[in-house]
Parts: sequence; C-alpha cells; structure tokens
Amino acid sequence: MSSKWENLQKRSYLESNARSRAIGLVDTGSFTELAGPRHRISSPHLPLLGEAVEFDDGIVTGVGLIGKKPVFVASQEGRFIGGAVGEVHGAKLVNIVRMARQSYDKMLEDNPDLPEEKRPAVVISFDTGGVRLHEANAGLLAHAELMDQFQDCKGKVPIIALIGSRVGCFGGMGFVAAATDVIIMSQFGRLGLTGPEVIEEELGKDEFDASDRGLVYRTTGGRHKYIMGDCNFLVADSIAAFRETLQEVLRKPYVEIAAMGSIGSLEKVESQLKLVELCVETAPKDSKDVWKTAGNEFPDDLVDMPLDEFLKTVKRLRDRQVPQPPSAQQLRK
Amino acid sequence: MSKQLHELTFEFKAEKPKDFSEDFLHFGVVGSGDMEVIVEHKDLDGAVRIKITSPVTGYEEVWRRVLERFVNDTGVANASFEINDNNATPVVVSLRLRQALAEIS
Repeated sequence: MSSKWENLQKRSYLESNARSRAIGLVDTGSFTELAGPRHRISSPHLPLLGEAVEFDDGIVTGVGLIGKKPVFVASQEGRFIGGAVGEVHGAKLVNIVRMARQSYDKMLEDNPDLPEEKRPAVVISFDTGGVRLHEANAGLLAHAELMDQFQDCKGKVPIIALIGSRVGCFGGMGFVAAATDVIIMSQFGRLGLTGPEVIEEELGKDEFDASDRGLVYRTTGGRHKYIMGDCNFLVADSIAAFRETLQEVLRKPYVEIAAMGSIGSLEKVESQLKLVELCVETAPKDSKDVWKTAGNEFPDDLVDMPLDEFLKTVKRLRDRQVPQPPSAQQLRK
Repeated sequence: MSKQLHELTFEFKAEKPKDFSEDFLHFGVVGSGDMEVIVEHKDLDGAVRIKITSPVTGYEEVWRRVLERFVNDTGVANASFEINDNNATPVVVSLRLRQALAEIS
C-alpha cells in the first residue's frame, strides 16, 4: 500500500482524480472514505433527465490523519459534470464539515486540554464550476448550508482550500473558497466567480476572450491570485507539494491560521475596500497593469518564469497574511 | 420517458474461469466519454453478471460483444460488475475494465 501512496505523491495535482488527491493529501494508509462508491448514493435527479450518474456523485469525502491531527477531506471530481454541486454532492460536502466541527466539540468536551496538534481540521480540494444546473435549487441550498457550517467552525476548526485541478473553482464555490481560512493554489489552479466562458457570453469577445488561454490564466490563474493576495500560497503542481504546504499550515496554532483568511474583521473589510479604490484609481486594462502597480517592473516576464524564480522575485499587491495592504498613494510612488 | 437512463444486464461464463476473490473494487470516473465500474465477488456458479446504466440506447449488441470478449480474455468468474457509463466508446470500455482488474495486483 505504502508504495502506491508514494507514487501518488509524485503525481501532477492537475491530472489527479478526486480520490487520488484525497488519499495522497493525508498520511499513508490513513484515509477512510465515507459515503463512498460502495454506498452507491448517486443523484436521484439525473436519471430523470437521462444524464449519467456516478456512484459517489462527483465528490470524495472522508477522514485521514496528518501527524496526529484528524483531517476531514472533501475532494471534488471535475470530470463528472464539471464538479458541479448537486443535492448528494452538496450534502456530502456540508456533512463532512459538520462532522469535523462535531468531532471538535466532542473531543474538547472529553478533554478540554486537548493539544492543538490533535484537533480536527477541514481540507477541501476544489474542482468545480459551482451549482449543478440540473438540480440547481438543492445545489444552491448546499452552498448556503456550507457557508453556515464554515461559520460554526469559526474559533474551532480551520478550513483549508486547495485549488489546482482542471476545472478550477468558479461560480458559487468561488465565494465558498473565499470564505475559507487559507487558500493554497498551483499556477494551474484557477479561482473566480463568473467563469471565463460566461463572461464572454454575457459581455462579448471584446470584453473577455475565453479562448485566449493566456488571458484566462493571467486573470484567474494561481500566479495572478498570488500577486493579488487572493491566495496565501503558490505551490508546484504535485500532490506532494500541496501536502507539504498543507502540513506546514496545519502545524500553526488555530489563531494564526484563522488570521490568514480574507474575511472576518473590520480591518479585512477595509483592506478589500482599498483594493476597490485602487482599481478605480488605476483603471487597469489587463492583469499585467495590476502586476506593475504591485511593483513588478517587467510584468511580461512573470508569465513564463519558472515557479521558484517567480516566488523569489514577484512583488505582491498585498500579502493575504497581513491585514493591511499598502495604500493607493504608497503604491503609486 | 425516453430521456430516462437505461439499464442493460448481461451474464457470461468464461471458457477458462478464474475466480474473482476481491470483496469490493471501484475504478474510473464518469467523465464525458468515460465510465466507472464496481466489481464485487458474487457466487454465480462461475458466471459473471454485468449491469450497465447509460444514457445511450441502441448499442446492446456492441456492449454484448465487448463484454463477452472481456470475460473470455480475462477469464473473470463469480463476479458482479456495475457500470455507470457516459458515452464511453467500446475501446474505452475494454480498457477501463482491464485497468480495473489490474488494480488488484
């Protein structure tokens, strides 16, 4: 078993399916899948529409260990209907977060002095375009329920988002990812609200050409999100790289992890508003304009630069870990 | 009603049967043009039962040929297969079923 797990580590995160990611992110042999294919809980709605079903409804949920820490994992499968959130998919996602929080409550009730290293955490590997339109009401409700669960986790269970899969993280799930405590991305990960194709359809090719992959990646991709401070970490495209940074984050005390989130305090709201102000003042035409504003003199070079060099040289508009971004005045100097 | 998912069931017996002893095996993702399969040990007097759930109609004969060949080539016996299909071509079906069995070793 161990060698199978080791092979997973080297594998590209982008190319890995949901189950490989879930198994590979936690310690070897520690992953137990809950409500998996064996239980055959597939969508009750898709058969009526003549659409193919999957035994796990496009999401792998379960629990594993990282060190001594119980880690509740949800991993979405973008290849099944674009990783879209339907009723069963959503229920599994909501309940794995609920289970983490309930475990926390029970563990702390039994032992109020439980060391942080043994307290539960939630990890979500996003690979989704948001709501599954075939069962949209249930899907939307799941988004709301998930946000509710996140709220209940505040002060207790850290929630870490991993984005490096093919579909990226779009639609309502973009909001959900933004509400987590920490976001780890690869350069192939994409994060946004309205997906590129939808923008093109609504506003025309002049506004956004979704077939221009360069444009898509420098607007929604990991490098841009890292410069913007919309993600905390940018890692290489392997399960091992994601796992390593995940371990690093989970070693920190809860308060430090929670401080990395982009919402949750007045300072953070003000920080966001300053970005809006900056956007109005500088009126960027392209992501590269924003990169320049952030202090990168040659933004074109950042596109193809090897990742380690990129991380060494890039200047970020704001570090998501620091609540206050530089003011618009400071940035213009 | 024509839009509903369709189910097909086949039963085959390999010429040189080899018992499938795994309790449970799952393989594959229901991507576009792809499929997943669950294989379980089941006492079927040396036979193999295969259930397919698919949005596609009119390919019963193709399924029968592809599956019969798979069962005879591999000799798999005493097993229940459940396939969720999403427009997989015969080549993909053959490949995925063989990959699933290769997972055991």
